[in-house]
Amino acid sequence: MRSCFRMIKRWDLIIVAILILISFLPIALFSAVQAKTATNPAASRVAVITQDNKVIKKIQLTENKRTYQFVIHSGDGDEDTVEVQKSRIRVKSATCPDQVCVLTGFIDQPGETIVCLPYHLVIEIQSDNEPPQDIIVSS
Amino acid sequence: MTKNQRNAYIALLAAQAVIISLFENAIPFPFGIAPGAKLGLANVITCMALYTLATKDTIKVVSLRLILATLLGGTLSTFMYSAAGIVLSFIGMWLVKKLGPDRISLIGVSATGAILHNIGQLIIASWIAQTWTVLLYLPVLSFVGILAGIAIGVMANYLLTHVEKLQYYQKVKETNEKVHGW
Repeated sequence: MRSCFRMIKRWDLIIVAILILISFLPIALFSAVQAKTATNPAASRVAVITQDNKVIKKIQLTENKRTYQFVIHSGDGDEDTVEVQKSRIRVKSATCPDQVCVLTGFIDQPGETIVCLPYHLVIEIQSDNEPPQDIIVSS
Repeated sequence: MTKNQRNAYIALLAAQAVIISLFENAIPFPFGIAPGAKLGLANVITCMALYTLATKDTIKVVSLRLILATLLGGTLSTFMYSAAGIVLSFIGMWLVKKLGPDRISLIGVSATGAILHNIGQLIIASWIAQTWTVLLYLPVLSFVGILAGIAIGVMANYLLTHVEKLQYYQKVKETNEKVHGW
């Protein structure tokens, strides 16, 4: 055990620290972008489901009160069961081997994504950045 | 080292790497926190090759391993993932090793390899999914990768210091480098 510690040299630590910092870079960039396009909470959120880069479904999440689920088939008996629960969405079950999409759980913030790589399925929450139209000031 | 010895040694390393990675695919990974994470045991072979062979021959080992592993248990998409991972991690490990044995040990080299392997794979994943938010998964993978990389560095160090032939090859490589510049 002591020989393990002795074999560590200074540049090992430097390199590993640099690499850890690099691995946090995407998160930093992402939150910076998020902060810039500070979405106002009133903006409506849409879940966009794409498969093979084609949009196959758009679901309005704001003001959705229902809970329902549907199945997306992608050939060869591959299925993803998607559940919409009020204003959030998740992949409830999938027949893929790694289950990354299921483990992601519910998403509801703009910019969040669920990715199912084996079936090329992406669910992304987008916000319509149009200013809310319902502010009508009558005098 | 004669030419035949070297060829046999390259083939041996590539074959071992293929077997190790096939064997590793058969182990279900127990970590629920990081799906998709792997130990990367075959990285031991890349470390070994880097320390005992010339750069040209190391590239041979790595590409043989990539092609054979794909032919024996992969598809086109796994080939793209592992190709990106292997190429990136090999370049990284090679550069890091250039710092010299006084500054960097096998632990640093193999941790670099592990993390860059993850980065390469996630870049391909985000390219396929056409969304770079996949890269947000990187910190989890890097954390596991660093732990695995350290373990594998220690393992490779044990092999290099305890297997006689490897020590001999390492010495041959060092004298060659002294004679031919690098």
